[in-house]
Amino acid sequence: MKMIELLQKIDLKIKLAIIAIFLGITAFIISNPFDNSIAKINVKNLAVMVQTEVDHVNVDEIADWIIKDKSDYRLIDLRTEKEFNDYNIPTSENIPITNLLDGELARNEKIVLYSEGGIHSAQAWFLLKAKEYKSVYILRGGLEEWKDRILFPKLISNATPEDKAKFEIASAISRYFGGQPQIVTGSEITLSVANPNPTPKIQAPTGSSIGGAQKKKKREGC
Amino acid sequence: MNAPFFKFDFFSADFSLVIAFAIGIGFGFALERGGFGNARILASQFYFTDMRVLKVMFSAIVTAMLGVFFFVAFGWLDLSLVYYTDTNLIPQVVGGLILGVGFVVGGYCPGTSCVSAATGRIDGVIYLLGVMAGIFVFGEIFPLIEGFYYSSNMGRVFLPDYLGLSYGMIVFLVVLMAVGAFAAAEWGEKKMAAKSGGVK
Repeated sequence: MKMIELLQKIDLKIKLAIIAIFLGITAFIISNPFDNSIAKINVKNLAVMVQTEVDHVNVDEIADWIIKDKSDYRLIDLRTEKEFNDYNIPTSENIPITNLLDGELARNEKIVLYSEGGIHSAQAWFLLKAKEYKSVYILRGGLEEWKDRILFPKLISNATPEDKAKFEIASAISRYFGGQPQIVTGSEITLSVANPNPTPKIQAPTGSSIGGAQKKKKREGC
Repeated sequence: MNAPFFKFDFFSADFSLVIAFAIGIGFGFALERGGFGNARILASQFYFTDMRVLKVMFSAIVTAMLGVFFFVAFGWLDLSLVYYTDTNLIPQVVGGLILGVGFVVGGYCPGTSCVSAATGRIDGVIYLLGVMAGIFVFGEIFPLIEGFYYSSNMGRVFLPDYLGLSYGMIVFLVVLMAVGAFAAAEWGEKKMAAKSGGVK
């Protein structure tokens, strides 16, 4: 009874001040509310996504997006800076895999990852998915497939007319990106597979110039 | 919109305006109830006769800060989704001084001028016109001052990182500061009241 009377006597603002101080001390004990290195993942959800391959983007699609100058996505090159400077897919930005979670990317952005093959981008995809990034995609086949199918499309000399028609389109795309369409004769197929063309100096716009401009476009706040 | 819900597509851009409207009405209502629609009350802050502004601001800061801290600690809020502006130290200090001078001269800050205009105060309406004129002039001369506007960029700086203290420590210190400021304000008000013979 005494206790209640005592509590009633205390002014409301004093009570609020006491609560604030109490919460402040609790905060001081908790000290850091963030824990950035631990993530919770929905394993089942991810497994289904892997199974249905909804997280893949083909090199043709990317080529198409670049040609159409789409800017609703960010193309991320996960390789090292040196490799990136040697060659990169136009409009791409270089974020090495260790820097991926440093806050460069926002969770609501459409992100397309690529690496040399596909393993690093798949691993990076998992990291981003675990951190609840909404739409992360992998470039199927990575840079290898980009070179194979976009930069240096091949036509066997005894191809069907349909194949030739397709090759015409592929050649146009290839030239757009500064590549070289190739016609392979029967005897040379094995040679060209065993001894793939070294990447020539490519005149296509490099990521650093285009990527920079695109970065600015997407960097605005809310 | 700074709310993480919007970024996560929980609602559309159109609906975000509805939410902004509701929050804005709530904000304006709270300001009006706090007496912030009256230039005399606001200005008396600068003569230390009525410390209401300081008390309301510090209450809001402490409440929001504690709320955010514990929401993050409980995992209800993802602070990495909240948008922060960069710190451009010198331009922001200059901007703060300009706003402060305007506050003393006109008796309102931008938010409270809207409140007072909404309740039909003529000085509030005039002040709001001044705000619009200022925005217009700023927009027109922006190309000239753009270099200065973006100068001394420090990126996104947070006090805990800058001072090398934990977030909890900063929270605790700000609470102490607020409680101290409250006590000092109450004491100051009594002093000033006694000085002016108890007449407010």
